[in-house]
Amino acid sequence: MLKIENLHVKLEDESREILKGLSLEVKAGEVHAIMGPNGSGKSTLSYVLSGREGYEVTEGSITFKGQDLLAMEAHQRAAAGVFLAFQYPIEIPGVATMQFLKVAANSQRKARGQKEYTVPEFMKLVKDRAAKLNVNQEMLKRPVNVGFSGGEKKRAEILQMAVLEPSLCVLDETDSGLDIDALRVVADGVNALRSPDRAMIVITHYQRLLDYIVPDKVHVLSGGRIVKTGGKELALELEANGYADYVEKAA
Amino acid sequence: MSTALQPTAAEQALGVSLPSRRDEEWKWTDLKRMLTWPYRVSHTTDGKTVDRLVSASPFAGVTTHRVVILNGRLDEGRSKLKGLAISVGAVSVDEADPLIDLNGRLNPQGLTLSFEGQVDVPVEIIFVTTGDNAVVASRLHVVVADGASAMLLESHVGAGEYLHNPLVTCHLGKGARLDRIKLECEDGEAQHLAQSVIALGKDARLLDLTLTAGAQLSRQNGNVVFIGENASARVNGSYLLKGKQHVDTRLLVDHRVPNCVSRELFKCVMQDQSRGIFQGKVIVRPNAQKTDGKQSSHALLLSEAAEFDAKPELEIYADDVVCGHGTTCGDLNPDHLFYLMSRGIPKAEARAMLVEAFVAEVIDMVENEAVRDVLLAQVRERLA
Repeated sequence: MLKIENLHVKLEDESREILKGLSLEVKAGEVHAIMGPNGSGKSTLSYVLSGREGYEVTEGSITFKGQDLLAMEAHQRAAAGVFLAFQYPIEIPGVATMQFLKVAANSQRKARGQKEYTVPEFMKLVKDRAAKLNVNQEMLKRPVNVGFSGGEKKRAEILQMAVLEPSLCVLDETDSGLDIDALRVVADGVNALRSPDRAMIVITHYQRLLDYIVPDKVHVLSGGRIVKTGGKELALELEANGYADYVEKAA
Repeated sequence: MSTALQPTAAEQALGVSLPSRRDEEWKWTDLKRMLTWPYRVSHTTDGKTVDRLVSASPFAGVTTHRVVILNGRLDEGRSKLKGLAISVGAVSVDEADPLIDLNGRLNPQGLTLSFEGQVDVPVEIIFVTTGDNAVVASRLHVVVADGASAMLLESHVGAGEYLHNPLVTCHLGKGARLDRIKLECEDGEAQHLAQSVIALGKDARLLDLTLTAGAQLSRQNGNVVFIGENASARVNGSYLLKGKQHVDTRLLVDHRVPNCVSRELFKCVMQDQSRGIFQGKVIVRPNAQKTDGKQSSHALLLSEAAEFDAKPELEIYADDVVCGHGTTCGDLNPDHLFYLMSRGIPKAEARAMLVEAFVAEVIDMVENEAVRDVLLAQVRERLA
């Protein structure tokens, strides 16, 4: 589904490289965890995948379902099936959550040549998905993420994911700022979306999240490259020994 | 004013001395230089054009009461006056101001609209102006009696390169309530030089909202005067500008008595080479203790060549008051834009959503949903 080859990335207005030859292949149905110390390039990877402006790819390629992902704008990537759950979901005053979700879902469907949702169809879909994530109707009436607590924001992100039904979910530090109960709700929501035709990349600093969202593969990202790949036991090893070995290796 | 200089052609045609940038309040809108057409204090009227303008009125469909003021005169044939108390006759104004002087000089027909009791149906007032180089003044006085409430939906439309000078005065009696919604959507080539004076009696409540979208040159002077205690005024505005439009608002909120509350919020959107100006002054007179006044203006500049100037002023002569002002100016937030796009919304649509959200704050305070929808539709159409 996703193939990243020798990816080199820098910020547009700086010369320093952040990703220095990252390669990764994720097949449909798989969950990959990417772990690494601060500053290793984890968030940059999520932004480059989702098409945020301000990053420059100097070398390498990203192929998504056979298409050149880097040639697409952010909204085209979303329509193609890429979804980024933000580490810090953005508050957008004045834009109603339901309206935003509906425009987003229908923009994607239109781009894919599918029939757009009618209002009743869409209301039913959101209501159904929201109930499973403990997102109450009151939250949906508010502007996007405005006044939401940390946990509510993360739940709202997963709700968007459940409504938009992407084929590649990138979860950027979804566990940050969550207490254990909120973490469980979010993880249950994510697990419910696991399916043979959907892939996930779970970016995290800590092993804790991986107790709930059990990955097929774990990669260690350090110094802008993947320096080690293993099974879920690698996460436990990192928890016990820290990143020190890998930081030195990368340097 | 520079009386020593030769009067300009416009000053001769209009019969007044025009303010220039030497006058502090007019430093961004120098009428002496900006009014350059061969003005004629007359107009031409084409019935079909007027019919088209009236039937296309943005508020058509929202209400059954309609007052059409065509080239400064009441057009009874196109109005729907049943149930309204409207009279024709001289309307005098106490305040002095260059635009009031101009209006007086042009000597328009005076119209008085009175409201008694609770009037639930909004009244649409369509000012229609037509004819090239025509100069047209209109004058409307609105009286909301003690304890009465009313909603005015004012739209300013027209066809041609004309100058329209409307003067609207309102008096709110004890405990009266007025919602005044103004849509300035004059012809794109027109000049709109408007003045309003609104006086609030004891316990009165005012919501005044102006959306400015039309005219090449628009100057709007608004005076809000508190003459009775415990009154409150909310004055909102928005500009939706394109091309080379020049829009200048000078708002004066005059607290003459104690215990009144005033709130002003302007959210302006400038595209292309347009220019927006907001001059807001709050005066708190010596005896107006316990005044609570806040003013803010925010601008979105959607192009490098667009410009916004803000001049907030507080003139406080009482010592027990709460007053403040704030102003911001900038582009859309790139984080907001990326968030919307990352969910599949194309850039142009995402920008439109954010601009609409920016403006919506001034519209949200209108309680009538149908009116709110008309205003939001205008925002969408104007910024498309």
